[in-house]
Amino acid sequence: MNAPVADPAAAPTGPSGEGAIVVLDKLSVGFGDRTVLNGIDLALRPREIFGIVGETGAGKSVLARAIIGLLPPGGDVTGGAVRYRGRPLDAFSPAEAGSYRGGKVALIGTNAKALLDPVARVGDQIARVVRAHTPMDARAARTRAIDLMREVGIVEPERRARAYPHELSGGMAQRIVIAMALAGNPEVLLADDATLGLDATVQAQVLESLVERSRDRGLSVLLITHDLGIVRHYCDRVAVIRDGRLVEEGPVGDFMAAPATGYSRDLLDAARARPALQAPLAAGDRPPLVDVRDLTMHFAVPGSVLPIKAVDGISFAIAPGETLALVGESGSGKTTAGQCLMRLIDNTDGRIFFDGRDVTDLKDRAFRPLRRHMQMVFQEPYVALNPRWRVADLLAEPLALVEPMTAAERARRVAELLALVHLDPRLADVRPHALTAGEQKRVGIARALATRPRFIVFDEPTTALDIRVRAQIIDLIRGLQSSMNLSALFITHDLNSVRSLAHRVAVMHLGKIVEQGDTEAIFERAEHPYTRKLLAAELPVDAEPAAAAP
Amino acid sequence: MRTRDIWRRQPRLLRIVLIRLALIVPQMFGVTLVAFLLIRLLPGDPARLILGNFATDESIALYREKLGLDKDVWTQFAIYVGNILKGDFGTSPFTSRPILEDLADRAPATLELILYAVICTVGLGVTIAVVSVVKRGSPFDWGARIYGFAAGALPDFLVALLLVFVFFYLLGWAPAPFGRLDLMLNTPPQVTGFLTIDSLIAGDFEAFRSAAGRLILPVLTITIVNAGAVTKMAHSVFSEIWDSPIVGHMRACGVPEQQIVRAALRNSLPPIISVSSFILGFLLGAAVLVETIFSWGGLGQYAVQAVINSDYAALQGFVLVASAFILVVYSVADILYEVVDPRIRT
Repeated sequence: MNAPVADPAAAPTGPSGEGAIVVLDKLSVGFGDRTVLNGIDLALRPREIFGIVGETGAGKSVLARAIIGLLPPGGDVTGGAVRYRGRPLDAFSPAEAGSYRGGKVALIGTNAKALLDPVARVGDQIARVVRAHTPMDARAARTRAIDLMREVGIVEPERRARAYPHELSGGMAQRIVIAMALAGNPEVLLADDATLGLDATVQAQVLESLVERSRDRGLSVLLITHDLGIVRHYCDRVAVIRDGRLVEEGPVGDFMAAPATGYSRDLLDAARARPALQAPLAAGDRPPLVDVRDLTMHFAVPGSVLPIKAVDGISFAIAPGETLALVGESGSGKTTAGQCLMRLIDNTDGRIFFDGRDVTDLKDRAFRPLRRHMQMVFQEPYVALNPRWRVADLLAEPLALVEPMTAAERARRVAELLALVHLDPRLADVRPHALTAGEQKRVGIARALATRPRFIVFDEPTTALDIRVRAQIIDLIRGLQSSMNLSALFITHDLNSVRSLAHRVAVMHLGKIVEQGDTEAIFERAEHPYTRKLLAAELPVDAEPAAAAP
Repeated sequence: MRTRDIWRRQPRLLRIVLIRLALIVPQMFGVTLVAFLLIRLLPGDPARLILGNFATDESIALYREKLGLDKDVWTQFAIYVGNILKGDFGTSPFTSRPILEDLADRAPATLELILYAVICTVGLGVTIAVVSVVKRGSPFDWGARIYGFAAGALPDFLVALLLVFVFFYLLGWAPAPFGRLDLMLNTPPQVTGFLTIDSLIAGDFEAFRSAAGRLILPVLTITIVNAGAVTKMAHSVFSEIWDSPIVGHMRACGVPEQQIVRAALRNSLPPIISVSSFILGFLLGAAVLVETIFSWGGLGQYAVQAVINSDYAALQGFVLVASAFILVVYSVADILYEVVDPRIRT
């Protein structure tokens, strides 16, 4: 539009003839002597949606922060520059930098609930941003905030504007953050994993409205994600980042058809992988190991007359060696059901049978000997692992509870457990914070396996993992399942992650199981509309030819 | 269910205040009981103590009857509560005046002192904390850290004496440390008991100047000694919020720095409220050394006198008044705490 960009990297990218808005010119960012971004060349053109793909730790978030000029503490631009319409960011005065952030380039961060001020009404928070960029009185700003909320698809914006962030769902909070990003009328949106952690159906809605708004307003969007389905669906161009370097860059259509590098191919293959559906277990007359009948869990809510019906009369059975996937979106009650099953909380109604025995009303003392046969792998491995203990101690703890053993025996068992989950034995001496997310999950699984249980509840074992790591964890669990003849309840919101793993699938919605059946039946012939909606929400990496490539 | 429904429909603020007010009644009852039992636990027979060693058993028995000591404990307690409700705290044998009058004379002096002191302490402590977090690593930040480290180790009487030495003796800027008001001036008619306010109500500006001037050094003493603790606490709370994604997000949205500071401070309020109420309650008795140095004639001094003279009735009165005061302060703090944090369900 103005100022021709002198940067050679930007020159060949402009078939439309328009200059790039934001250009990264051999940008390098370091934290101390660690280089996080290494000579990145990128140009963001007007009105394009540009995808940045990479795994955790590749430097994607730092890239977004460098563009907005707010590196995390300790980070420095060590080489190159970010240019906005030809001007390097470091030439901006503090006042210019203030109006640049939010006014020219706006950032939409991950985990909206942590980004919003917990003690201010969301409408006021949007109005605050509005007034930061356009001088107006408080009343006009409030009206503008409500308009913005309506624009990002919030129903009843007048009422919602008076809510505090903790009263909103994750998807709603994310929409508020998007409204805040739009409040300064920016030209560029940086969406940094903006829908991470949201349910698939909500993610689709939020992304849809984000992209629609951007197209309407003629914005450029930098869509940072590790989900190639999102890239395929929404982006015009894509760049792959690995270890702080740009691996490749090009139009999405070309990239999907023929990625230039081996790494990109690996990523695509992992995303495309549609492992064969798990066949149902050969029907036998064996009694189920776990049998749940009409399980109900109601929570009384302070501030409301009606209880929350987290789990509302669900029944299922799991045979020895069988894996049942309990699938549902957040708030569907699936985690609560798992906790009731493990007797971590007392269900309000219904019966739980384990190995033919009614364990519903067993006292803690009587139930404890059974616990070694029923284990749970918790959702957030880092939270569930004592940060001050070494991995060896973490694994030895459940062993000590089961039977007395010598130090040498214990060391041998720890080594066995590490081998079982394919972890390097040398990791026995490190503490959880030094492990990657995938390794932490593995330690969590090894801990659950320590007592050689017959039944394990896996609570969201693959959330927040990169796609390749996710595939590895699923492979691991499948291996364990067949080698140890484990029964398992696999709780997840990601329907597709269970296709190769679960023998049967139960779909949970608002505390009830809406559909239950063999995996094949659910994936091939889902009957309930909700199941179909869940199946449709995932963005496929390979779109049908009908969806024209850009 | 129906009463519950009606309750739910009330505004949140009203519900918070009503719950706190309802709680004050049993709490006050408990405090009274403890104050009563405290005195009962003391060794010795009061009748024998008062009548002396040469009293006959009969006269002691008679006197016990007169004091009501022959009745059982709960009857005695009921009488005690009844007296308190009538405003009868007993009479001090040392001042020969009703204890309630003594306390009413002295309480405003202490309250005026510690209220101003707490306002200054919290104001100064929080300001230092905020500035040192916002300008992290600056000389100010380092100075604040050293102060926060040293302030806890400063004895208040030393600070008081140093201030008197420098500002009264050497420089002559401050008035003499003799009481709340210049002896040559008339005390303004009592309305609130706070001389600074009463003098303004009476339109007596000379008295106001004197009262305010005499407050400066004791308030400064308490502020210097206690602001360090507030600084440390506010620093840790505020810096946690300052480094949180909330502030990062506001900055990324281009919200002006000044407003970010305000929002972050708003988020740090709950613990600051708790600490302020704690300091206010604590100072009621703990300001005694400062009161003594400045001849303030406050509650703390009265309590110390009562202990020295074994004046148990006066001590009991002090305990009761002090507890009631702390109870009110904590209740107000609880209400504010819930008001500033919308996440607390009521």
